[in-house]
Amino acid sequence: MKVFVTGMGALTSLGTDVESTFQGLRDGRTGVRAFPEWKQHNGLHSLLGAPVGEYSVAHLPRQTRRAMSRMSEMASLATFQALEQAALSKENLNSPRVLLILGSTSGSPETLETYFKKIIERGGPEGQVSTSFFKTMNHSVAANVAAALEFNGALLSPSCACATSTQAVILGWELIKAGLYDVVVAGGADELHYMSAGVFDIVQAASRGYNDKPDEASRPFDQKRDGLVVSEGAGVVVLESEAHAQARGAHRLAEIKGGAYQCDASHMTQSSATTMASVMRLSLERAGVKAEEVDYLNAHATGTVHGDAEEAKAIQNVFQNTVPVSSLKGHFGHSLAACGTVELICSIKMMEHGLLIPNRNLAIVDPECSGIDLLKAPRQTPVKTVVSNNFAFGGMNTCLVFAQK
Amino acid sequence: MLNQDPVDPSLIQQINDLMASGFEIPPEKLVPSAALKELGLDSLDAVDMLVYIEDKFGIKVEGEKLTSLRTLQDVYNLAAEAVSKSK
Repeated sequence: MKVFVTGMGALTSLGTDVESTFQGLRDGRTGVRAFPEWKQHNGLHSLLGAPVGEYSVAHLPRQTRRAMSRMSEMASLATFQALEQAALSKENLNSPRVLLILGSTSGSPETLETYFKKIIERGGPEGQVSTSFFKTMNHSVAANVAAALEFNGALLSPSCACATSTQAVILGWELIKAGLYDVVVAGGADELHYMSAGVFDIVQAASRGYNDKPDEASRPFDQKRDGLVVSEGAGVVVLESEAHAQARGAHRLAEIKGGAYQCDASHMTQSSATTMASVMRLSLERAGVKAEEVDYLNAHATGTVHGDAEEAKAIQNVFQNTVPVSSLKGHFGHSLAACGTVELICSIKMMEHGLLIPNRNLAIVDPECSGIDLLKAPRQTPVKTVVSNNFAFGGMNTCLVFAQK
Repeated sequence: MLNQDPVDPSLIQQINDLMASGFEIPPEKLVPSAALKELGLDSLDAVDMLVYIEDKFGIKVEGEKLTSLRTLQDVYNLAAEAVSKSK
């Protein structure tokens, strides 16, 4: 049973839909900007972020919007975009053969802050509005998207930080392959907050040296990289079994060939090249694809000193120097739970256009990241098969393999 | 009905402003006889409405009375009673 992508939706720091996002990539733009106002937060050194531009959810009923934080709003819009492209209506989803899998790193950090601040100030739940918890609960994105769709079917909400949406896609692929569902709507979202940067800043993984040069911050694989820049956004795809897509004449955008998720339990923040290579090998095996058949590798590489070097070593180990590699974090920043599906979607656009987007801000390749074909300029070439990595805190290593339809 | 005494018009206006801004209700629908259900408010909205009123007037409303609220007049009366007690 083959599994196809038949719809895509995204909101990123480069645009509020797939086309504007991809155009931003083609133009080599960055969504990163300075946040000098974050100076007020004691102990925060990284004053950079990549926010999503203006969007509207005014078309949703108030009682749907009231439980949504930004991450749920963006996820809902991305889902509507994906369903529109797939030519699936809300009514089409009312089937026990349809599954929604959507997640985020945590509940809304902005609401978590106000929620607990009030609890501490008032010594209890006094003064809490009823909808606060619905923005803070772990499955807030999934529940809110379901509400926006008036969806009464199967709903899952995986959460593994930066690998969340990749895991959602792989899970969807597995469950369709297993014959349990015909359609899976999969994705993830996260919203920008100073503590999203703070989480990485605490472990010295966030960029600190480019606060006054945001355009140059977020430099995957570059010798002068100094950490990631936190971002926000949403990415959602519609996955569909071959039989279901064929029966309704759906337009296929790409085929999900396979994927895998594995844990590196050796360290909470520092996955090793060995386990990264392991998940790539397992993904290729499950996809039935040989390393030499891969035309492009979309790296997770967030611009951290340790992570990029380990991923480069892992790629070298599996592919040697045969596959062009780029990370899109230099353009978007790191959109956490959204990045997996956003990068899947952007890679599918690269396949469509036969155009590989290069690493942004890669001036001098760090010797620790050498030995692989790191893209420094756009490359026009046929792209049939792609591998995409995403790694997360907690040793959550994921890898996805997909190909032209 | 919780309290039949006339309610201060300025308090009514402030509550109407809260209802309009908090629940996106068109001002012309905010008449004393309007049923909360007809205004599109459900049980979660009723909880939030009391929180808004408490924060706005710095009062504490008895939550047990929430279920007895039917119309906007009931809300005016409940708020007026709480304001009066707080003085």
